[in-house]
Amino acid sequence: MSLFVILALVLLVVAFTIMTYNTLIAMIEAVRNNQKQIDIQLDRRFKVFESLIEVVKKYMDYEKSTLKDVTALRAQAQTAKASGDIAGQMAAENKISGVVSGLNLVFENYPDLKANQNAMELQEEIVSTENKLAFAKQAFNDSIETYNARKKMFFTAFVVAGFKSKLDFDYPYWQLASADEVKQKEDYTVKL
Amino acid sequence: MNEYNQSANDWRGVIRRNNRNSVIVIGIFILMYVALGLLVDTFIYSQRYFQAPLGPIFHQIITLKLFPYATLISTFIAIISLWIVFIFHDKIMLLGTEYHEITPESAANLQEKQFYNIIEEMKVAAGLRFMPRVFIIEADYMNAFASGYSEKSAMVAITRGLLEKLDRDEIQAVMAHEISHVRHMDIKLTLMASILSNIMLVAIDVLFWNAYFSGSRRREGSGGSWLVLVIIVLRYVLPLVNMMLMLFLSRTREYMADAGCVELTRNNEPLARALLKIEGDTQANVEDYTKQYNQSTHDSLRRESYIYDPSMAGIGTHNAMSEWFSTHPSLENRLAALGYKPKK
Repeated sequence: MSLFVILALVLLVVAFTIMTYNTLIAMIEAVRNNQKQIDIQLDRRFKVFESLIEVVKKYMDYEKSTLKDVTALRAQAQTAKASGDIAGQMAAENKISGVVSGLNLVFENYPDLKANQNAMELQEEIVSTENKLAFAKQAFNDSIETYNARKKMFFTAFVVAGFKSKLDFDYPYWQLASADEVKQKEDYTVKL
Repeated sequence: MNEYNQSANDWRGVIRRNNRNSVIVIGIFILMYVALGLLVDTFIYSQRYFQAPLGPIFHQIITLKLFPYATLISTFIAIISLWIVFIFHDKIMLLGTEYHEITPESAANLQEKQFYNIIEEMKVAAGLRFMPRVFIIEADYMNAFASGYSEKSAMVAITRGLLEKLDRDEIQAVMAHEISHVRHMDIKLTLMASILSNIMLVAIDVLFWNAYFSGSRRREGSGGSWLVLVIIVLRYVLPLVNMMLMLFLSRTREYMADAGCVELTRNNEPLARALLKIEGDTQANVEDYTKQYNQSTHDSLRRESYIYDPSMAGIGTHNAMSEWFSTHPSLENRLAALGYKPKK
């Protein structure tokens, strides 16, 4: 009888370990995928805005320098990424955001352009693209939250300790890179 | 909107609480189901060995010395019917409405394109691996619903009226609510509960008439008489209990979807605004909308997954008992859960 109880207990522990292991692996992969989702959205944004600028070109001279800016910044981001400089890449991508908000203001200043159906569609595209990027970052942080919370839970922590190389990762949350950047974005107001 | 005090919404807490409530409700349903199966078994065996007292018979069934046929057969029936309903469910959800599907290519104008974009954004925010199918229902009333629980059957639908009358943020909030329904697998859950409940009702009815006829044939004293009494009481109490549980479950899932909307958009204001607009609009056009809701047949199928229950504005499509109670919490309670309390 006591043998039976011990066997049952062992079985229970093994089952719990396997289940926890599998759940954590799924969570880790979700975090990784969500991280890449940010890249996907950044890439999508670049492509969308490039074609957007092509269209806007017909209306203004403004854009020639803008296109050059974006292309230069994009190249900058690419080289930064290639050399593993995440902060440099983020800085360049953030500058593209700045150029684009400038574009949005241009739309406001040209009523003729604003009434144009194409321009309105492109404006919707800008809003949606920026939203998708923000939501991708949010989803990334959310999946890190779920993973971290589960990883540190009682009992689960024992399983993690047993498979440290497979289950224990430290993913940093997405955030603004520096205090200066936070300050700069906090103080930002629209100037027309 | 100005008549409400705004406060932050603890969506994590709301989801945790309501998740626990759902688990309790589903647990009660399954327990009731098994208990009813065992009751049927006890009844059948007490008919066969009618000299034996009930206590030992029940004990023998529990310990599997007498095989519980009815419990197993009814479980089997439940699994089969769940399977069949899951296969056909997405096909019946749009029944009786005039609708068309939206894809990036088929979006006819900016508004429809924007609507599709919004759902894509919510898909990214929810980290879904699939894009739900998107439908627009050609109707003036303001409502939306979601269905499905897997990559194949996930869909969201919105009425033309809602699309026209809400702004981008508000549509986003409504869609976040619907995507949350898909994400929380609410359709699966409520379908499961309603199938269990229906099978239970049929079983108790059969049992009742069986007891009625066999009771009039034989009049032996033993424990049989109180078993019959239990069956009679259950026949009248069970439908009521089932309905209350279903309504409680459905309202719980509504609160969860509202909280899920805040989770996805990190903003409780647009959903509150959208709900108030929908309520105001529905009340202002009750007569017109009643006609339109009645025109779209099979409306009861969609009721539980609507964002707004039209019966709350006095639009009832049937006179069934379930119409007395709403599948959704009252607007005031929903707003309160979102963090909006009316100013005194």
